[in-house]
Amino acid sequence: MSKIGYFYTDCLVPMVGNNPYATAEENSAELSINAEVYSLPSRKLVALQLRSIFIKYKSSSFCEKLLSWVKSSSFAKVIVLSSSHSYQRNDLQLRSTPFRYLLTPCMQKSVRNKIKSLNWQEMEKTPCIPEMSDSDYCVRIPGGGITRALYKESCSKEIQMAVLLKFVSEGDNVPDALGLVEYLNEWLQMIKPQSDDPAPSTLLWKIPSSWKLLFGSGLPPALF
Amino acid sequence: MNSGVWEEVGCAKLWNEWCRTSDSVHGLSPTEAYCVFYRLKSNPAVFLCQCSCYVAEDQQYQWLEKVFGSCPKKNVQVTVLTCRHTTDYKSSEPAGSLPSPFLKALKTQNFKDPVCCSLLEQPNFVHDLPAAVLSYCQVWQLPAILYLCYTDVMKLDLLTVEAFKPVLSSRSLKGLAKNIPQSTETLKKLTAANEVQSNIYT
Repeated sequence: MSKIGYFYTDCLVPMVGNNPYATAEENSAELSINAEVYSLPSRKLVALQLRSIFIKYKSSSFCEKLLSWVKSSSFAKVIVLSSSHSYQRNDLQLRSTPFRYLLTPCMQKSVRNKIKSLNWQEMEKTPCIPEMSDSDYCVRIPGGGITRALYKESCSKEIQMAVLLKFVSEGDNVPDALGLVEYLNEWLQMIKPQSDDPAPSTLLWKIPSSWKLLFGSGLPPALF
Repeated sequence: MNSGVWEEVGCAKLWNEWCRTSDSVHGLSPTEAYCVFYRLKSNPAVFLCQCSCYVAEDQQYQWLEKVFGSCPKKNVQVTVLTCRHTTDYKSSEPAGSLPSPFLKALKTQNFKDPVCCSLLEQPNFVHDLPAAVLSYCQVWQLPAILYLCYTDVMKLDLLTVEAFKPVLSSRSLKGLAKNIPQSTETLKKLTAANEVQSNIYT
């Protein structure tokens, strides 16, 4: 996918670095900022990559700006890749696949059959107030950041949105990211398996250079 | 800055929880912080901003709009000089083994001049005001370069300042620095003011 633009707002903490998707010497010196837009015209795909956290109190402003951009650009469908705290799972969720999906009502009409054929698990409604025994049930995504807000707004604005998420723990989330993109790939088939082998095509995904040294620099030999 | 070569033309005042001055009578007290803007008397098209305070993340966007908002987007080139501690730098080499201080650079797409040092390689990145400035310049297609000195000291010292010397020979800055043999002596005097005046033995 190639970079086609930026999503420049005052809502995200600024950061810059060199191109984390560099494939050669020539494109390694391209500057990347905190929110960039990539596209793959052959698949009619556009991706918005967020690289930093929200500035305090600015997350709802960001949701508004994002959905306004989605509407004005007339995107056919929006897929949000997200996660939820694995420690918040209930007993049923602990025993099942860690992947979940959510569809806005207007999206359900268009992709219901496809999703059914994939045998995916829909995100369960859980008590809105867990401490209350007679609490109403609603969709909760603890640890999901703006995911729930985006989903709720899209429901009311009739935006065709799907949320794909994985229950994850704090720590090395690289395997989780690969798992989530494989989950997405089951639906979108962005990378087709090489043969009829149903084994995951994790080897076909490239790891960005920004994932190097996630836990710090090399260790000083004197430590040992 | 009081050498007579620069004139003060403005300042950006701000306050956040990081703005403190150490006062021997009252201890730490809240105070307004400033970013001071100077203009070169001999060439009024050259501006310098000295930022000696922390601009918080929720102030950076407004700071940029105020500073860059009214300036023309054509024929502008921006150079940012900043420092970070070497522990911020990630590499497969152990932190203590790197020859410190060292200079790294990040540049926007439209910056075409030669760079005075190697570029900051992934997975390293920059945040705070320097990142906000560079992001702005990248989005608005202004040529800009950030020179980042990784140093292992917390206060200004001669070695860290001298690490920036290659930058003075760059196309945009070479007209500003006098190439005098006494530059090391002058730098020593400027940095001595920051040295610890007393220690536990006096």
